[in-house]
Amino acid sequence: MRIYVAIDDTDSIEEGSTGESANRIIRMIEKRQWGNCQGLTRHQLLLHPDIPYTSHNSAMCFTADIEADYLDLLIKEAGEFLELDSAPGSDPGLCIAVEGHIQDERKLINYGYEAKKRVITKEEAYQLAREIGVVHLSEHGGTGIGVIGALAGVGLRLTNNDGRFQGKLVLKAPGSTITVTEILSSGPTEIVQSLDSYALGEEEEVRLGDKLKTVLLNGKRTLLVYQQEGSTKWETCTRAQLEKY
Amino acid sequence: MDWWIKNEKGQVQFMGGKQDWLQVASIASNCPDFAPDYEEELLAEEEISCYNCRFRRWTEGSFTCSKR
Repeated sequence: MRIYVAIDDTDSIEEGSTGESANRIIRMIEKRQWGNCQGLTRHQLLLHPDIPYTSHNSAMCFTADIEADYLDLLIKEAGEFLELDSAPGSDPGLCIAVEGHIQDERKLINYGYEAKKRVITKEEAYQLAREIGVVHLSEHGGTGIGVIGALAGVGLRLTNNDGRFQGKLVLKAPGSTITVTEILSSGPTEIVQSLDSYALGEEEEVRLGDKLKTVLLNGKRTLLVYQQEGSTKWETCTRAQLEKY
Repeated sequence: MDWWIKNEKGQVQFMGGKQDWLQVASIASNCPDFAPDYEEELLAEEEISCYNCRFRRWTEGSFTCSKR
């Protein structure tokens, strides 16, 4: 079965990272041979004075293909891991949903978008999770408000159009020019596309910048490129250009 | 020029917003508390920048610094 695993609020200003916590859960799943995990994405939530986020209010989500028999064990051990590993003073939340078992995906997707626009309570998160049959939503320390973002993380991943993948692409040296074919064959990029949605052809060339990041668009791991004003050459986007993803 | 004000919560907030790349690079390069955040949270191309610092906390229009 394919599952969505999302966590939030595992860090403090002094220590920890929700992305690193998610990576450790991924390593746990793969080391114990419960299944295979796919790309880890970061999803930006609302920045608002009434939300007690640590520094950026983002949730992390990954998908995994696991044997159904391991699901309960995974839920138990991921929860225990968050209790042990999260930073003191953090408010970790864990959400796990099974593909095809969510009764109304649209509601979960809408919830994800809502979490970018307004302040949501824990009660709302639990109520929705019960209503649509999300397999698991739990808190693991502190106030547990991380459940709000964890549920939103799954909802936003389900959109197939939100979030940046964790990690940098390693291709050629910054400043090098490379064809789309070379980019795609190096993996894990699935498409090279401009900011206004033009999909580059395989023979087209791209000049590489310093930091190469991919985003989730139309369900694909996408490397975004742009042309500087007056130029016809493609360049990879800067971090600032990717901020809204 | 002082680039910082206290916001309504008493936190020290940067007045230049989220696009003042050169200024935050300059501030961070002279800051003894600068520490890079994790890769997924980096925003500026300049490695040493308040926008990339672990101790900044984003607000809707700017960020606050927990070390000031």
